[in-house]
Amino acid sequence: MAEGFPLILAGFFAPVDIGNTPFSLLWMFPLLLSIAVVYKATRLRVLFWKAFSLEVLVLFLTLSGFMILTGVVLNLVVWLITS
Amino acid sequence: MRMKPKPNKPAEHTLWLFLVAFTGWAVPGGGHFLIGQRRHAVVFFVTIVLTFLVGLYIGSIGIIDPVGAKPWYLAQILTSPIVGWLGQVAQKGDYPVYGRPQDYGQIYTALAGLLNLLCILNAVYRAYSGIGETIGQEEEHG
Repeated sequence: MAEGFPLILAGFFAPVDIGNTPFSLLWMFPLLLSIAVVYKATRLRVLFWKAFSLEVLVLFLTLSGFMILTGVVLNLVVWLITS
Repeated sequence: MRMKPKPNKPAEHTLWLFLVAFTGWAVPGGGHFLIGQRRHAVVFFVTIVLTFLVGLYIGSIGIIDPVGAKPWYLAQILTSPIVGWLGQVAQKGDYPVYGRPQDYGQIYTALAGLLNLLCILNAVYRAYSGIGETIGQEEEHG
C-alpha cells in the first residue's frame, strides 16, 4: 500500500485521460450521487442510515432519469434540426 | 441526538453563528459537528471531500486557478480555505490542464464548494433555530 501512495499523489499533478466519447458523460453520475447525498442530509433532522440510504437512492435515480431524458430530448431536437 | 444549547445573550448568539459558519467552511461538516449533529457532519465531510478530491484527480491540481479561472475559483474556495493554499501551489508549478479533464475537474471541485455552502447555511440555520428541521416532514422512522 505504501508503494502505491506516490503513484496516487502523482495522479493529482496530471489530468486523467477522458476521451471525447459518449462514455465520458458517465462522469456525471458520481456528481449526481454527491448532490443527492448532501441535499437529502440537509433535509433530514435525524439521520437513520437505512431510511437515509433509501431516500438518497430515490433522489439519485430521479436525477439520473431526468438527466438521461434531457439528453434524449436534446439529441432528438438536434436530429430533427439537422435531418 | 441533542443539539448544544444556544447562548442567551444576542452578541454571544451572533458570535456562535459566525463560529458555526466558519467551522463549516474550514472543515466541511464542521458546523454540524459543532452543533452536535455528528452523523450529518460525517456524511458532509466524506461526500464533499471525496467530490473535491475526485475533481482534483480528474483535472490535476492546475484546475485551481485564482487568476485565469476566477469564477470557478470563487466556487472552489467555498470548499475550504485550504483551496487558497492549493491555488498558490498550483500557480507556482507548471501543471498541465486541458480539454475534457479540465471541464470535469472544474465542475467537480466547484460543485464541492457549492455543496459546502449549502451545508454551511444549513448548519447556521440549525444553530439559529435550535430545531434542526429545515423543510418538509420530520423523519422519525428507520
